Amino acid sequence: MAADQHPHSGRRQHFHRGRRGQDRRGDRRPSPPPQAQAQAQEPGQVEQADVDRIVKDIKARIAQRHGIDLSAQQIQELAARRLEAILDPRTVKPGLLDQLRKAAGAPADLAPAEPADAYTFEDHTIYDTHNGLLRFLRKLLAPVLKLFFNPNPIAAALNAQVRVNREAARREAERERTQAEWNALHYTVLQRLVTEVSRVSIEMQSLSLRLESLTTRADFTERRIRGLEAPPAAPPSPARTFDTPAAAPAGGAARPSADTVGGDAQAPEGRRRRRRRRGRRGSLPGGETAGGGAALAPAAADLAEGDEDTFDDGPDGDGPEADDAMPPSPASVAVAPPPAGAPEPAPPAPTAEAAPEPFERVEPARPPAPAAIAPAFEPPESPGAAPADSSTPSSEPSDR
Amino acid sequence: MKLAVVVQRYAADIGGGSELHARYIAEHLAGHADVRVLTTCARDYVTWKNEYPAGETRVHGIPVERFPVAYERDPRDFARRSSLVFEEMHSVADELAWLDSQGPVSPALIERVRHVAAESDFVVLFSLRYHTAFHGARAAAGNAVLVPTTERDPALGLQIFGPVLRGVRGIMYNSPEERALIQDLHAAGHVPGLTVGVGSQILAAIDPSRAATAFGLDRPYLLYVGRIDVNKGCAELFDYFSQYAARSDRPLDLVLIGTPVLPIPDHPRIRHLGYVSDQDKYDVLAGAEALVMPSYFESLSMVMLEAWAIGVPVLANGRCDVLAGQCLRSNGGLFYSNGREFDAMLDTLLDDPALADELGENGRAFYTAHYEWPVVERAYLDMFERLAAGAPASRMEPLPGWLAARPRTARPGAAVVDAAPRGPVPADGKRETES
Repeated sequence: MAADQHPHSGRRQHFHRGRRGQDRRGDRRPSPPPQAQAQAQEPGQVEQADVDRIVKDIKARIAQRHGIDLSAQQIQELAARRLEAILDPRTVKPGLLDQLRKAAGAPADLAPAEPADAYTFEDHTIYDTHNGLLRFLRKLLAPVLKLFFNPNPIAAALNAQVRVNREAARREAERERTQAEWNALHYTVLQRLVTEVSRVSIEMQSLSLRLESLTTRADFTERRIRGLEAPPAAPPSPARTFDTPAAAPAGGAARPSADTVGGDAQAPEGRRRRRRRRGRRGSLPGGETAGGGAALAPAAADLAEGDEDTFDDGPDGDGPEADDAMPPSPASVAVAPPPAGAPEPAPPAPTAEAAPEPFERVEPARPPAPAAIAPAFEPPESPGAAPADSSTPSSEPSDR
Repeated sequence: MKLAVVVQRYAADIGGGSELHARYIAEHLAGHADVRVLTTCARDYVTWKNEYPAGETRVHGIPVERFPVAYERDPRDFARRSSLVFEEMHSVADELAWLDSQGPVSPALIERVRHVAAESDFVVLFSLRYHTAFHGARAAAGNAVLVPTTERDPALGLQIFGPVLRGVRGIMYNSPEERALIQDLHAAGHVPGLTVGVGSQILAAIDPSRAATAFGLDRPYLLYVGRIDVNKGCAELFDYFSQYAARSDRPLDLVLIGTPVLPIPDHPRIRHLGYVSDQDKYDVLAGAEALVMPSYFESLSMVMLEAWAIGVPVLANGRCDVLAGQCLRSNGGLFYSNGREFDAMLDTLLDDPALADELGENGRAFYTAHYEWPVVERAYLDMFERLAAGAPASRMEPLPGWLAARPRTARPGAAVVDAAPRGPVPADGKRETES
């Protein structure tokens, strides 16, 4: 800008482009992942960006992912404590442990040490003395001594003994050195094993938590599917089952079942489909087979009564559960029986076939479920988990 | 109303920092008052060499009086004195010597401030740490309105600044963090103050496709604008981005605009455009996925405001209290504190365009509400009215005498600042983390 040009010329005080998002950045911006799209579409979840919450959620997620991803130093310290526990000080001398630790850290001693008591024995050794006069006299009288016996074999034997002693000392030193190396190796291996066990143990804890989370999620999903598929429970009628057509018309007008709402033409097909699905999944609670008509009503009752207990067992505040933390599905309204003595019947609901898929997001404007059913579909308490998914990183950040 | 603006350098071609801040304020207040700028002949903030002619001139229609700098800075002497006052126990005399060593020393300017203060309603002084603001504020104590533009800098921990901050008529802060830091360090809470900041000159016609064509920006990019310097956190940014690029197969570039002081890594995804025109800067900025601001020390970050003004979200260094605080208050950007968080925040912005757009919109609303020029001008004018209506909160404390300035009882400036509370100041004014 020229020095004499006023900055206001050619500028305006507030820029408004009127172009946002994809339009602003052209077609270069990558498409959002389905999860982000789904959340963006959900009016209750991305209603107002709160940077404080988003940042805290992301930090919490990072901490959750890497919370037990200890540093190498921390794992070493943990392993050292475990090793202390393994090497029970009541059975292992503390001095020995110190020696092992030192040996493990010390470099290998390649040259065997000379024995401390090594000595030489020559022919003249028996005449040696510090006193010069005495040494002279012994030397002078040696021929006299040799008149009585021959000292040479004695000197040779002692000389050989010296060699034997030296060899034995060398072997002993070598053995000790080898033993020290083995000890150090054993200690190092043990230490590394304990470190590895510690690492694996930490990883196992992490996986256990994840497994527990996924189990809870799967259980929740399973119950939702069952809730979506379960036919309405009939009014108390001990003789009637789904497989007894004679009894069905009698209660047909009284119960708002999928059969009545969805039409008779769809009912047998829907029932067959439910049976097939149950057949794939195996038995229902109580050990009865899925195809058993009598099992359906208890299953529905179980759904209505027992699901809260299931969620009490789930971990709190876990992300994946929050993904499924949705309002009651309309399908559950359609298939659930009205609570006994309810003042008003359940509002009209779509048929089981027309209901959304189990993972499909539900518009909050749909009619709520009856009070007796709603708690079964209430998500577990997961503070801060659900909204955070709007900011879920697509992949694992790298370690730094 | 007559106003004088005092700043260490002033010219149309001096960009960034408190000098640009001062120029913007002077030009915008000129519509409401008779504004005169007092400055030095220096152009280079390192040497303070006299490069502009002394005397009166006009810059964008504003009368500017330039005064010569008495001597250039001796870098060795300044480094030695900085080391002394920032890292060792020292005396007030040492601090005053450090201030003289830093410069720019212009006795004629200070004398002129003294005269102008007598005939002006207020003297607005910029950048507390410089000689011009320190002695100018003392010369115009009764009419001095200080714009400290301070950051978490060891210089702010020096004792000599306390009396100036407590003795001026009013203080215009750039951010709540700056205000909190100054009040924590120098107990200037009784001085009338206002957190106002500064607006920016946003161009009318911005076209990202023009920048894409001109610079070949055919892939999504993260943008950094500013001096490419270690002190601005760029080395860390290069490190984080390189690791992110190695991990992610997302076609994302890091585009840099600004003068390099630091060697730029030879990386296929890091592109340096150099120093570009305002038009190009805004065009490139408008096309960015986000603006990244890796600096540890910022008083306000005008480029962040510019990004928000055109609806671009920001990814900031959360270890700078001001940047984190601005993101929190505006809901216009995310901030990170380490490499993992950098990755996660960046992924979040890129994975969720709706969120990124919403952050950009929040930033735009924040800019509109707090940094549009009518808002900033009104804040200054209100402050002047408020000050004119009341008496000075306190008198300027005199400098200690020769003997009193000699005891080496002053703590190292860095230690003083380190001991001050940290963390962004949220909307309610209470820090979450205090040290």
